[in-house]
Amino acid sequence: MSALAETGSPARELSAIVGEQNVAASDSSVAINGAFPALTVFPGSAEEVAAVLAFANTRGLVVAPAGGFTKQDIGGIPEQVDILLRTERLGGIQKYDPGDLTVSVSAGTPFAEVQRTLGEHHQWLPYDAANLERATVGGCVATAASGPLRHAFGGLRDFCIGVQFATADGKMGKGGGMVVKNVAGYDLMKLMTGSYGTLAVITRANFKVFPRPRQTRTFLCNFASLDETLRFRAKILASPLQPICLEILSPRTQDYLNDPQPARDPDDYAPAQPVSLASKIWQIALRATGSDTILARYKRELAGDASRELDGAAEEQFWRRISQFEYTILTRHQNAMVLYTHLPISGVGTVAQAVERIASDYNFIPAVLGRAATGNLIAAFMPLSVDPPSAMQYANCVSAFRGLLPTGAAAEVAHCPKEAKPHFDVWGTTPTDITMMKAVKKAIDPNNILNRGRFIV
Amino acid sequence: MEASVLRQLKKIAGNGAVLDRPEELMMYEYDAGVDKSRPGAVVFAQNTRQVSEIMRLAWQKKIPVVPRGAGTGLSGGAIARKEAIVLSLARMNKILEIDVANQRAVVQPGVVNLEVSNATAKYGYFYAPDPSSQKACTIGGNVSENSGGPHTLALGVTVNHVTGLEVVLPEGRVIRLGGKAQDSTGLDLTGFFVGSEGTMGVVTEITVKLTRLPEHVTTLLGIYNTIEDAANTVVAITQSGITPAALEMLDGWMVRCVEANVHAGYPEDAAAVLLIELEGMREAVEEQAEAVSAVCMQQKAREVRRARDEKQRQLLWLGRKTAFGAVGRVSPSYYTQDGVIPRTKVPYTLAEIERISKHYGLIIGNVFHAGDGNLHPLILFDARDPVQKENSKKAAKEIMACCLNFGGSITGEHGVGMEKMNLMPAMFTEDDLEIMVRLRNAFNPESILNPQKMIPDLRYCREITGPLPKAKVEPAPGVRV
Repeated sequence: MSALAETGSPARELSAIVGEQNVAASDSSVAINGAFPALTVFPGSAEEVAAVLAFANTRGLVVAPAGGFTKQDIGGIPEQVDILLRTERLGGIQKYDPGDLTVSVSAGTPFAEVQRTLGEHHQWLPYDAANLERATVGGCVATAASGPLRHAFGGLRDFCIGVQFATADGKMGKGGGMVVKNVAGYDLMKLMTGSYGTLAVITRANFKVFPRPRQTRTFLCNFASLDETLRFRAKILASPLQPICLEILSPRTQDYLNDPQPARDPDDYAPAQPVSLASKIWQIALRATGSDTILARYKRELAGDASRELDGAAEEQFWRRISQFEYTILTRHQNAMVLYTHLPISGVGTVAQAVERIASDYNFIPAVLGRAATGNLIAAFMPLSVDPPSAMQYANCVSAFRGLLPTGAAAEVAHCPKEAKPHFDVWGTTPTDITMMKAVKKAIDPNNILNRGRFIV
Repeated sequence: MEASVLRQLKKIAGNGAVLDRPEELMMYEYDAGVDKSRPGAVVFAQNTRQVSEIMRLAWQKKIPVVPRGAGTGLSGGAIARKEAIVLSLARMNKILEIDVANQRAVVQPGVVNLEVSNATAKYGYFYAPDPSSQKACTIGGNVSENSGGPHTLALGVTVNHVTGLEVVLPEGRVIRLGGKAQDSTGLDLTGFFVGSEGTMGVVTEITVKLTRLPEHVTTLLGIYNTIEDAANTVVAITQSGITPAALEMLDGWMVRCVEANVHAGYPEDAAAVLLIELEGMREAVEEQAEAVSAVCMQQKAREVRRARDEKQRQLLWLGRKTAFGAVGRVSPSYYTQDGVIPRTKVPYTLAEIERISKHYGLIIGNVFHAGDGNLHPLILFDARDPVQKENSKKAAKEIMACCLNFGGSITGEHGVGMEKMNLMPAMFTEDDLEIMVRLRNAFNPESILNPQKMIPDLRYCREITGPLPKAKVEPAPGVRV
């Protein structure tokens, strides 16, 4: 029994904070790895968020903050969730100065909405994570999600210049501000980015925005082997070329760069061609920007390697599909397992190879896609429909994969069937001192009410 | 300093690694800023183990410790309060590894910033953050202050270039944060630690990103008859969609000051100059140079010159990078500010600074990172004249108030340290500061490490809110800003 049922009427007290119409009983659509929050609250301001948290903290109720609900399956199985705190009423762009190239956005705003507003001024946030129509600004910051543009522009941490939040014990705090260079106070933007809602509820974030490139061109380069692919990557890294994206795609990845139909069954597998004839082609997708003269130089320098060029709508579609890759897989294979890797870049080859090898050892179909020059790869393991894997098989596969990672590399399991999660450590190893992480968590969430049991701290 | 503590410090670090005579300690009572305070002892650690043992000793004896690199900081971050131990990392000055395959270098904290670029140039790489003091300042100090520099406009500041740290905590425990990978699972404590001004731990090893040297670099000098035109150009360039590698501004007074010092080739009758650097692919640089020149001319530049060769380019930059030194030649004392404003507010803020300069009858030179909106007004005064000294403080306070009124910041790259600690309540609420203190205490629970820096003691928050014009909260009379 959750704490909620034992403590009088939290629904009434929460209604007093956010209004009766903004408290609801949760339904099955908001289950988090099988755990149901008893109540959903929709605070309408940062003050209300703080008040909800203060209340939960006093009562020892566990809170799960949620934006667009696109990444709630990531992480461990919560032992308890009492209140689901939705940020959707914290919406809207609060301040946008095209001249200053800065924007301040409330946490519940869908990311795509921000991009549309910036687009009116030929500006953008160079940010292309998945599901941006639904994913909110707060959720993107909290999960440190990123996409192919990370290659040239870094992650959200690199252009988030200010953050406002409510701590677990109901204090409103902030870091940074609305200027692009600022060292006053601790860098709470870095602390909040990727904290998975375990330290505080983000209520607003400020970003440095960028002029939108006037034109881009994508060059697709095919290679018969991983070695050739890596040699090409080395050549690009040593060249004067400055692409804005540099993605590596394993042979099977091609099957998932489309807009999938919802699966007919949990392990639907419908490759474009029969498995036995699967492509052996590795690919590098390089996206360039600049004037015609500059693009002409790319064309010249890539002449021997690029087999196709994309521009206009076809190019946009290609990159949107790259961003959606892991979700395309999950739509097609509900029981797929997806890992995010953090690697020193010399390990990209080793890791891509490890995915291919381990998948075949454990009866999965492998696909690897990711940032070839930042070491952020997405490794996907799709179960064969003829032989559905047991929960232990996921655990063994993860452990064998982690065993093959090079020094300094780590892999966290982002998505997998919840039944498999109790059998292994979802987050895995990290070079960062875990005792210190826990001390930081304790400093601003002493009763561990935020996303208890779901993150590494 | 207690004799037994000195004895133990000598036992840990060696006899030659501890200073305690007043004439020796004098060398460590200041940094490049304005504050002064003599430490109780200085100890030079040579490795992580010694740092850990020194911290353990200090922890047991409850003696404050202040980590120090080259002492080039401008906000008093490396100055010890009375009877504190200055822990110098200057002798931990080895580049431990250059890992070209992973585009990383692993260095000790005492390595001088420029040495990293020097050591990696032969592989075609450099270390991007370039504070003006890059020939002297250390990477450890850069990490503590999250240092910037002219070229951080396009490439980012220190925190964007650090992926891993080894840190000694106040109780002596050695921890790792991050590594060679771009990011790591869990909280980004690496990013959080950068810029913590020595209040969370002592950095003993740093893994930095190496950046590919650009194919082509060119530097333009925009020359202006009015400072307003130069300021408007900054806004226009930002909005044009071009991000220069650097966009620096010197006002007319600074131009003449610099010319007298190094003959950088700036025209002495200019009201302002812009130093604009473009880098990248050759074609891109050529196109941008043309576009930027056109913007400058549209904004009524008198002339735009382009460095003919590398020698001339270096000379233009020498003028910028030695500007502070040049001021030192003409004025007995000057007070460097480090305010930040939204970029569209550069023209208005410069006009305001000119008004403040006239009002107090003090020369205020401007040399700054215009592209970021990071101002460095230098207020000149004669410290022997109490009226001038007092007026310089008042002028500084008004400039800071002006920055804050525009939603700016009290520091863009020099840090809060001792100097601006009492201005923090003007930017942050008591709750904001309390959260920061709680987070600091997770690392440094008894404030043994660099105490009384960066965040004012919360009990005094209200009491120091004196008259800062037009700001939300103001420091009390007699409190230095």
